Amino acid sequence: MHAIEFDKLSKVFQGKKKVTVNALNSLSLQVDQGEVFGFLGPNGAGKSTSIKILLGLIGSTAGTARIMGVDVTEKTARSQVGFLPENPSFYDFLTGEEYLRFVGKSFNMSAADISVRGSEVLNRLDLWEARKRPIRGYSKGMVQRLGLAQTLIHDPAVYVLDEPMSGLDPIGRALVKDIIRELKERGKTVFFSTHITADVEAVCDRVGVINKGVLLAVDTVSGVLERGVEGYTVRLFKPDGASEECVVAKADLQDFIEKSIAQRCSIERVEPKRKDMEAFFLEMVSPKQTS
Amino acid sequence: MLNTVAVNLRAIFRDRVFHGIVVVALLFLLIPSVSSLSMRQVTELSITLALSLLSLILLLLSISLGATSLWKDIERRYTYSVLSLPLSRSAYLVGKFVAVALFLLLATLVLGAVACCMIWLASGIYPADRPIVWMNLVLCIAADLLKYVMLVAYAFLFSTVSTSFFLPIFGTISVFLAGNASQQAYDYVHSPLATTLSPVVKQAASVLYYLLPNFSAFNLRINAIYGIPLSMKAVVLPLMYFCIYTTLLVILATVIFTRREMK
Ligand SMILES: Nc1ncnc2c1ncn2[C@@H]1O[C@H](COP(=O)(O)OP(=O)(O)O)[C@@H](O)[C@H]1O
Ligand SMILES: [Mg+2]
Repeated sequence: MHAIEFDKLSKVFQGKKKVTVNALNSLSLQVDQGEVFGFLGPNGAGKSTSIKILLGLIGSTAGTARIMGVDVTEKTARSQVGFLPENPSFYDFLTGEEYLRFVGKSFNMSAADISVRGSEVLNRLDLWEARKRPIRGYSKGMVQRLGLAQTLIHDPAVYVLDEPMSGLDPIGRALVKDIIRELKERGKTVFFSTHITADVEAVCDRVGVINKGVLLAVDTVSGVLERGVEGYTVRLFKPDGASEECVVAKADLQDFIEKSIAQRCSIERVEPKRKDMEAFFLEMVSPKQTS
Repeated sequence: MLNTVAVNLRAIFRDRVFHGIVVVALLFLLIPSVSSLSMRQVTELSITLALSLLSLILLLLSISLGATSLWKDIERRYTYSVLSLPLSRSAYLVGKFVAVALFLLLATLVLGAVACCMIWLASGIYPADRPIVWMNLVLCIAADLLKYVMLVAYAFLFSTVSTSFFLPIFGTISVFLAGNASQQAYDYVHSPLATTLSPVVKQAASVLYYLLPNFSAFNLRINAIYGIPLSMKAVVLPLMYFCIYTTLLVILATVIFTRREMK
């Protein structure tokens, strides 16, 4: 069973004045359990639309989606999910602590569990001091962190995060990445959307690139990075002590090193020169610009 | 659903509207002195004033809470965070409705008790010719409450089809006005005076009469003010009417809301 499954999902928005927007075009995608999946795409690509369908907030025009095998039109599909909406907003008349209690109760947690888990996640997301203040007075970053806290409190198997790093400072971003890595270690599934390639490189197992409602590619992050290797920069010391930096093609590396050693050079460093995730992403999204 | 009711009640108590109501309710304290100015029929006047003020407050509450409760959640994008919980749309909507209805009940209990105290004080100053029938007073207030809960159901129905607060607020006010006038209009159309009206108009008026709520059935004020005995029928019929009508409205609102896209 896949943790998340999109099957030929399409969505057409009926705008005003009879304009229609094809926000999603036959999206098919499977996310395995225990996987961290990055859903990468520029603004307006259809990331939030897919996620809203997944959470039952909007219906699909065609196709289906399932979470842990349960069709998303059933409310039970959401019982194993922690969801962070894009630019989230929570009942602001409640305090952070009260909101977590509300969420915990919605997932049928016991009062004791709520209080134990609640303290844990409040501390983990650096909201302990602010827990008794109304959310109305929280900064954008604090609301974002509370959003993450409310996905964690009931310890679900699947996490769906819509642009989890947005609105956070570098410390907050690092914290979110740490939390995603922790979840991965604990065998949880994380599906998050982003338009920042570095975030995908940092934490994801696999990446899907989406643009204009079409899924362009799905690949492992390590695969993208390996295939992107175009050559190596080799830094070596010659017998006379002079140092030199050479650019070597991928196929010639073995030969080059053997020759260098035969010439009694000492090799100090070999670095792969590669196109990174960003280049991969740009190539996918706008192939003409990056010849 | 209990969770939803609790959180929405909390929202109401922490809202500014609530504090405004408390201020308006202070007007009750003026009733004995204002009534005594009339010199005659002090008790009757105090009852009239108390019931009118209570009714006005309930009207303001049901429009302001009923018409904005759902709209606020959508406007402030709470719907994304709340409806993505394992909660059905119907539990969310019905929970919200029950919270507003419970709040109206609570307000009625508190303000009704205050009103009765004031009437009792006023009647103490100038004893009435007829003794006050407290039971009628209580039933009159209860019927008023039912009327406003029904109005809230209408406000919810309007909220589920609208993206702004415009339709819920003005739609609810229109229903309130129409609901109070429907019986008179019906009586007029079917009276000998209306022979000049075309049958089409009469038909349309009848259809509207059965579609629109009939709030005059909930008006027991005359019985309360003059202590006129109430028949069983005058109590039970409105109650049944309320149950059926409100249930239908809430079901309709739920059906519409379940299909609604949270864009
Ligand atoms: N409610 C809506 N009505 C009409 N068009 C919409 C609506 N929501 C999103 N869209 C359009 O659908 C496309 C995808 O949007 P979205 O999924 O929000 O993109 P993103 O990948 O940035 O999250 C965009 O072109 C957007 O303009
Ligand atoms: Mg988005």
